[in-house]
Amino acid sequence: MFLVDKYINYVNQEVKKEPEKGWNWMVRGFQANKLKTRLLPNSGISKGYQKLESMMMSLVADSLGHEGSYVWGNIFAPEEIFQCFDRRTLSIECLSCYFSGYHLEDYFIDCAQNAGLAPTLCSYHKTFVGAVESGALKAPSYAVTTSLSCDGNLNTFRYLEKKIGAPFTFLDVPYDCDPESVDYLAKQLREMTGQLEKVFGRPFDEERLRRIIAIENETRRELLRFYELEKEHEYPGEIISQLYLMMGTHLLMGTEEFRDLVKFMVEDIQTYPRFTGKRILWVHLLPFYQETLRAYFNGSRKYQVIASDIVLDYAEELDESDPFRALAVKTIRNIYNGSYAGKAEALGAFAQAMEADAVIHFCHWGCKQASGGSILLKEKMKELGIPMLILDGDGIDRRNSHDGQIKTRLEAFLEILDEEDGNAVGAAVSAKKEEA
Amino acid sequence: MIGYICKYAPVEIFEAMGVEMHRIEPEVSNFNQADMRMHPNVCSFAKGVLEEVLAGDYEGVILTTCCDSIRRLYDVLKAQLPDRFIYMLDTPRITKDAGICLYESRIRKMIGEYEEFSGRHLDEEKFFALLKARKAEQEKRENAQGKEGSGLSVGIAGARANQNIRRILEERGVKVAFDLTCTGLDRKLLVEEDQVITGYVRGLLSQFPCMRMEEAAGRDQLIAEYADSADGIIYHTVQFCDNYAYEYAWLKGMLKRPMLLLETDYTRQSYGQILTRIEAFLESLGKGRKKGKISTGGKETMYVMGIDSGSTSTNAVIMDTNREIKAFAVVRTGAKSGQSAEKVLEMVLEQAKLKREDLARIVSTGYGRVSIPFADENVTEISCHGKGAHYFNPRVRTILDIGGQDSKAIHLNEKGEVTDFVMNDKCAAGTGRFLEMIARSLEIGIDELGPAALKSTEEIEITSMCSVFAESEVISLIAQNKEKTDIANGVCRSIANKSYSLMKRVGLEPEYMMTGGVAKNPGVVRAVEEKIGGRLYICPEPEIVGAAGAAIYALEGME
Repeated sequence: MFLVDKYINYVNQEVKKEPEKGWNWMVRGFQANKLKTRLLPNSGISKGYQKLESMMMSLVADSLGHEGSYVWGNIFAPEEIFQCFDRRTLSIECLSCYFSGYHLEDYFIDCAQNAGLAPTLCSYHKTFVGAVESGALKAPSYAVTTSLSCDGNLNTFRYLEKKIGAPFTFLDVPYDCDPESVDYLAKQLREMTGQLEKVFGRPFDEERLRRIIAIENETRRELLRFYELEKEHEYPGEIISQLYLMMGTHLLMGTEEFRDLVKFMVEDIQTYPRFTGKRILWVHLLPFYQETLRAYFNGSRKYQVIASDIVLDYAEELDESDPFRALAVKTIRNIYNGSYAGKAEALGAFAQAMEADAVIHFCHWGCKQASGGSILLKEKMKELGIPMLILDGDGIDRRNSHDGQIKTRLEAFLEILDEEDGNAVGAAVSAKKEEA
Repeated sequence: MIGYICKYAPVEIFEAMGVEMHRIEPEVSNFNQADMRMHPNVCSFAKGVLEEVLAGDYEGVILTTCCDSIRRLYDVLKAQLPDRFIYMLDTPRITKDAGICLYESRIRKMIGEYEEFSGRHLDEEKFFALLKARKAEQEKRENAQGKEGSGLSVGIAGARANQNIRRILEERGVKVAFDLTCTGLDRKLLVEEDQVITGYVRGLLSQFPCMRMEEAAGRDQLIAEYADSADGIIYHTVQFCDNYAYEYAWLKGMLKRPMLLLETDYTRQSYGQILTRIEAFLESLGKGRKKGKISTGGKETMYVMGIDSGSTSTNAVIMDTNREIKAFAVVRTGAKSGQSAEKVLEMVLEQAKLKREDLARIVSTGYGRVSIPFADENVTEISCHGKGAHYFNPRVRTILDIGGQDSKAIHLNEKGEVTDFVMNDKCAAGTGRFLEMIARSLEIGIDELGPAALKSTEEIEITSMCSVFAESEVISLIAQNKEKTDIANGVCRSIANKSYSLMKRVGLEPEYMMTGGVAKNPGVVRAVEEKIGGRLYICPEPEIVGAAGAAIYALEGME
C-alpha cells in the first residue's frame, strides 16, 4: 500500500506542476489499477462486486488509454447509440470520481471556482471543469448530454465546447410523458445518429441498436432477479459498489460483458448465507470516501445497502422494434424526470418491494433537484412507515462533508433501527429530527 | 390573481381571460418555510417565491420547467396548496419548429385545465385584440425613450434581478445602458392574425434566451455587442443558482469592459452588501465626485480626516496637504458605530493637537460609513483601501484585506486605480471573527494565535469551508489532544487557502500587500506568503490603510 500511496502522491504533484505529463501518469495509474483489481481483488467483498470493480476500472483505463475510443457524456446519455459506433460513453460524473482517486478533486474544484464557476455548483461538475481548466484533461472528438437530470449538464458541456472546442449534442428531455413528448425526443435521437455518422465517418446500423436493446432488456430482467435474491441472501459490498453498479447500468447497458456479470451475480449470490441484518435503500449519490459510512457499510454483514435509486432508475422493458422511441420512453420515464410526487411514489413502491428496513437520502452539495425533494420523500416514507434519514454532505469533495455531523446522525438512526421496528421507529426518527 | 415568474410564461393568455397576472419578485426577511419544506441549498429566488406564495393570496401560480430549483418549488407548492391552480408548464429548451409545436400544445392543454378550474373561457379574438394593443403600447414606449445622456452608463446582464440594482444606479445618476436579465427585458410579442396562438408562442420562444435554452450558446456574442455601449457591466447571479456563473466565467475572459459580479439572495438584508459593491464599482469606473468646501479654521496648513468605520475597529487618520499623516487612532467598534466614530474623532484630534474646525474635509468609509454624521462624503472601503495601499507602496498591484467580518481582494493598476475586486462577506470563514472564535476554543488570546502558529511542528489540515464546521473540527482536534500550536497553524493555513482563491480571482499580480487587522497576525501572513509564493508588504499600521485612503480622497475632493 505504501507504493500505491507514493504513486498517488507523485501523480497529484505532477498534475499540479505539469498537467499534460501528469495526465499521462494518471492514465498509467488507472491501467495499473486495472491489473491490480484483476490480480488482487478487494478481499472483503463478494466476487460479483470484485468483478464489477475490475470491469469499471477497465472501462475507464482502456478508454482513456485509446484516444478516439470514447465520447464524454452525462449519466443519462443514450450510450446504446454510441455503442453502435463502437464508442464508449464516459460520463463526466464518473470520471470526476476517478480523478478523486488521486485526491485531485479539491485542486480541480479550486481551479473551476477560480475561473469563476459558482462555489455552490455540484462538485462533480466543478471537478470535471477544473480538470479541463487546469490543463490536464483534453477534449474528446465528441460529447453528448441530456437536460436530465440537472441544470449543470447543458451548462457544463456548453462551457467546455467554448473553452476547448468539445463539440456535443444536446438532448432536450421533456418533463411530461405523453406521446408527443416521446416523438419530440425520439426525433432528436434520430437526428443525432445522422450527426454521428458524419463525425465518425460510418453508417449507423439500426439492427445493431435493436440487438443492444435486447441485451439491455435481458440485463434488466437479471438485475431484478438479483434484487429478488438479495431479500434472502447477504452479498457483501462497499458503498462504492453501488456506484460501480450505476456505471454498469448507465455506461455499459446493452453490452454482453455487463449482462454476463449480472448473470454471474445472480448465480453467485445464491451461494451466500441468509441475510439477517438491516437492509438499507440508498437514495441519490454515495460519498464513497466518507469514513463513517465506510466503517458502517463496507463489507458489513449487519447493515447492507441493498439497492440505490441511481442504479435502477427505469425498470420497464424497452420495445426493441422501435428503438428510438424505446430510448425516448426510457429517458422520459426515468424516475429522475417529471414531478417529485412521481419519484416519491416510485421509490416508496421500490422500498416496499425490496423489503427495505430503512431509507437513507444523501443530499449532495449543489444538487438542487435531489435536496429540494428530500422532505417530500421523507413524508412519503413516513406514510409507508419506513424510517428515513437525510444526510447532508458532498459526493466527492471532502471539504463539504463533515464527519462529526454524519457520524452522529447515522449512529442515532442505526440505534433506532436496532431497537425498534415499524411505525414506532418512523415516529422516533421524526421526533429525533425535530429535536435537532 | 395568478403569480408567475418566468418570461416564457404565457401571461397575456391569462390576461385575455380577465385574470390579474403578477410577476413574483420576493423580498423576504427569512427562509423559514423553505428551510423546513425544501432545503437550505436550493436557489434563493425559489425559496423566496415559496415564502411569498405561502404567505400571499394567489389563486394559482404558473411555473415553467426553467431549472431544478423551480421544479422542486412546484412539487412543494403542489403538495402544500392542493386546491390552488399550481401549474407546471413544460417549456422546451429547443426553439426550432419542434419546440414551438410542443410548447403550443402544452399551452393549449394548460388553457383547457384552467378553463375547467376557473370556469373562465379564452376568447381568441379578445386575445388577439389584447396582443395588438400591447404591441402598440410597446412601440410607443420605445419611440418615447430619450436619447442618451453624457454621464456614466452601466449595463446589467445575468440572472433575473429585482429592482434594487437599477434603483441604486438611477439614484446615483447612472444611466442603465441595457438590462439583459429575464426581468429587465421587454416582452417580445408576435401578432399574427391567421395563427394567433402559434405566432404568440413563436414570439415567446424567440426572446433573448436564458441559460437553460439551447440557443443560449449565442448569448456571449450578443452581450459583447451590447457591452460596447456601456462603461461597465454588472453581472448578476442569484445565490445557489449556478447557471449564470458559467457565463460570467466565460465573459470575464472575453469582454473588454470592466465587469462586476454581483450575487444577491432576495432577502431585504442583502441590500447593504449590494450597495457597497455597486458604489465601489462606480468609483472604479471614475464616476465624477463633487468638490467640497474648504475651511482651514484660520490655520495656514490645511488638514483633512479619513475615518474607516469597520465592524471590529473604527480608525481615523488626519493628513495635511503634503499628504503627511499628522495623527491616527484606532478604537474598537462598539454596538453603536456612531459613538465609536465620535470617540475616535476626539482621540485623533487630541493626538494631532487640533480642533474639529481645523479639519477642512472629512471622508468616511467602511460598513458604517453612512452612519457618521460629521462626514462630508463617503466612499466605499474598496476604493479607500486601493487609494491607501497605493499611498503606502505604489508598487502594490494586489491587496488582500482581511477585516473583522469580511475579506476582499483588490487589484490596482500602476496609477493606483481599482480595476477589479472580489469580496466575501456572506460567511465568517476566512475573517478576523473566525480567528477570534478559534482563539476562544483554544483558550488563548487573539494576539497569541499567530505567534503560536509559527511554533507548529505538525501539519494539520482543517478541511471544512464553513466556519461553524471548522470550529467543530477544531474542537475535535482538541479532543484528539493535538498541540495548540499545530491547530493554530492549521487555522492560519485554512484562511490562507480562502485568501488565495480571492486573490487569484483578481489576477494575483505582484507586488502584494495585506491590510486590515489580521495582517498583524504573523501566522496568517506566513501561510498566505507560502500559498502565493511571494512576499506580502505590510505597512506599520495595517488597520489604518482604509482611513488613510479616505483622507486622500478628502484631499482630492478639494483640489
